Amino acid sequence: MTAPATARVKIFRWKAVGPLLVFFGIVGVLWILFADTIARHATQKVGTQVIGAKVEIAALHVDLPHGKVMIRGLTVASPHEAFRNLMQADELVADLDVVPLTEKKLIINRLAANGLRFGTPRETDGRVAAKSEGGDGVPSRVMAETREWASQFQVPVLQLATGKISIDSLDPRKLSTIPAAEALGARADSSQRAWKAAFDTLRVGPTLDSANATLEKLKHARATDLATLNEARQAIERLKRAQNRVTSFERGVKTGVASLQSGLAGLDSAKRRDYAFARSLVKLPTLDAPHVGAALFGPGAIRPFERVLYYTQLARRYMPPGLLPRASTGPARVRRAGEDVRFPKEHALPGFLLRSAELSFLLRPTADQPQRYAGHLTGLSSDPALYGRPMLAGATGPQLAAGAMVNHVHDIPVDTAGATLGGITFAAFQVPGVPLRLDPGAATTQLGFNLKGDTIHARFGLRSSNVRWVRDSGFASSAIGDLIWRAVSGISNLDVDARISGALHSPDFAVRSNLDQAIAQRLQAVLGEQVAAGEKQVRARVDSLVNDKVTPVRARVNELQTQAQAQIAQQHARIDELQKQLEQQLHNLTRGIRLP
Amino acid sequence: MFALLKLIQSLVGALHSEGTPGQLAAGLVLGSFLGLTPLMNIHNAVILALLMLLNVSFAGGMLGWALFVPFGFLLDPLFDWMGHGLLLAPALRPLWTSLYNMPIVPLTNFNNTIVLGSFVFALVVAIPLFFVLRWAVARYRETVGARVRQSKFYQALTASKLYNVYRMFRP
Repeated sequence: MTAPATARVKIFRWKAVGPLLVFFGIVGVLWILFADTIARHATQKVGTQVIGAKVEIAALHVDLPHGKVMIRGLTVASPHEAFRNLMQADELVADLDVVPLTEKKLIINRLAANGLRFGTPRETDGRVAAKSEGGDGVPSRVMAETREWASQFQVPVLQLATGKISIDSLDPRKLSTIPAAEALGARADSSQRAWKAAFDTLRVGPTLDSANATLEKLKHARATDLATLNEARQAIERLKRAQNRVTSFERGVKTGVASLQSGLAGLDSAKRRDYAFARSLVKLPTLDAPHVGAALFGPGAIRPFERVLYYTQLARRYMPPGLLPRASTGPARVRRAGEDVRFPKEHALPGFLLRSAELSFLLRPTADQPQRYAGHLTGLSSDPALYGRPMLAGATGPQLAAGAMVNHVHDIPVDTAGATLGGITFAAFQVPGVPLRLDPGAATTQLGFNLKGDTIHARFGLRSSNVRWVRDSGFASSAIGDLIWRAVSGISNLDVDARISGALHSPDFAVRSNLDQAIAQRLQAVLGEQVAAGEKQVRARVDSLVNDKVTPVRARVNELQTQAQAQIAQQHARIDELQKQLEQQLHNLTRGIRLP
Repeated sequence: MFALLKLIQSLVGALHSEGTPGQLAAGLVLGSFLGLTPLMNIHNAVILALLMLLNVSFAGGMLGWALFVPFGFLLDPLFDWMGHGLLLAPALRPLWTSLYNMPIVPLTNFNNTIVLGSFVFALVVAIPLFFVLRWAVARYRETVGARVRQSKFYQALTASKLYNVYRMFRP
């Protein structure tokens, strides 16, 4: 017997089974030991990514055998305000469906949230999306979009601090009259050259010279000099044709002149536009009551809409309608995150579903007797089309009625929310452009919001019967300030109503308040003359910049028109005169007899 | 510095191990999966288990991991593009949809463009890489291997403690 030349190589390394089992055992033990910490960090990370603001959790316990997750000390920072929380919760207890976890699906059958508080202060800035606009995350993009959306509602700011009207410097490059005048001047020059060239091609001069020569010959001719008579007739025909050419040329000139005159009218329009532009540099709104309302409360009133729109757009990104695959930014890691693509499947569970939540929360937690409220939420799902029902939320209490429906079940998403909240004390705020502070006191607010597809209808109302006005020190020496102060200081009721309606990208925005009329009347009485003077000033400035260009062009066009018309009239007259002379001479010779 | 030393030790140790060129190449190929794909994924636990259970060069695996990590970072845009193309291909949608709604499979994060793209890339290059590496190791041993084995550098390297650890998992 001979041994094989080479020993057969074993495929398995059985002695590694032990170390492998030990390795996986260690991993398992570490998971058990650190599962809560890992889950807490993961929840904080995902929550922060989803909301666009820091999510902090004091403690989290995962009890997989019983399908429970307990969270204590949840804090969600406000995505919009630096040192304010969106909400805090003492305790959250979630009952999970464990089996779908193997499909990486989170199904919460019931969630109990206790000790919810809203709008509490915080010590550090918890905003994430607001500080990283232009970032890759969904909240960053949505934040940038909603901010841009809100910025379109620029309302003029009242300039009442000193009672003076300020005028920004007028940049001649922004005036439309100057380039229009230059263009018209160039057109006039071009027309002049074209007309001169066209006039030269008429060749009227040689025709007239030839006709003159024929006339001279005719004067010395006899009636029997048939050749001369024929020559005279041909000269008359040539004159007629020349007359036709001049007439045709005249039509062209008339059209050109009309076009230049239209250009002059265009200069007038451009000048009116420049007046309007210059007037916009006068920092004072139109002194109508609606504009005053927009100037006073517009910047503040747009904020609730901006915030609701932010959350609505987030919901549309995270809860899109339909069952098509959807890509979203992948998890943050050292390497590129890539994109996670979700593949919803009919009759399967969604990736995330919160079937039912019961909420217990406090309003005015710092008051002596904080009020306790209860709310509910059902059907919060990442794939509404799979769940088949809209998300519903509601809360009621002594001075609270709120409800929301996020319906992304069908192709056109519909998001609706409404809330009435009474007895909320708002912080005093600075009225834009006016050195006045308004303390609304305990007010009742109402919010109605409906976004169907891309059509928005929303309303925000603020009512208070005990507002207080506070003067800033800079107001003391201002006569205007005194007048405004007298107009508003006696008013203790505040009723602000802001509405947005129309296509989401450019809706109509209107704000009115009970102060509008009172302030508008005072402004009109006092500032009317100053506004008129300011407008006169900017018109004079526009004139001084524009007239240097417009006047020569206007003169040039008029001169060109006069010259062209005079030249044409002269040619007509010369041709007519010569033709008449020829005809008369011919008639005298032939005595009216028509010769062949 | 320590990592570099470890890498050199792994390289030299693996090249001069008693394992066949095929075992070393197989270890390197399995290690390339660890380096090319994002590490913290379930499929890499399977790769690690294969490295330990199969009679391939474990040191080669570690070496492959270390060598291919930079390529992983470098080729991420390509992986993203590949994964995007595969995941959003209409013809493959039924496959991904059924996998996505199966137990366990979604935990592999296959639905991430980088994970899928890099895994498919590693899978595609695995066979050619294996043959190329096997040939290269054989050529190395035939040519300069013997001289390196007798060098002082090699003697010093193999005398270190790390080498002893490595020997526990040599093929």
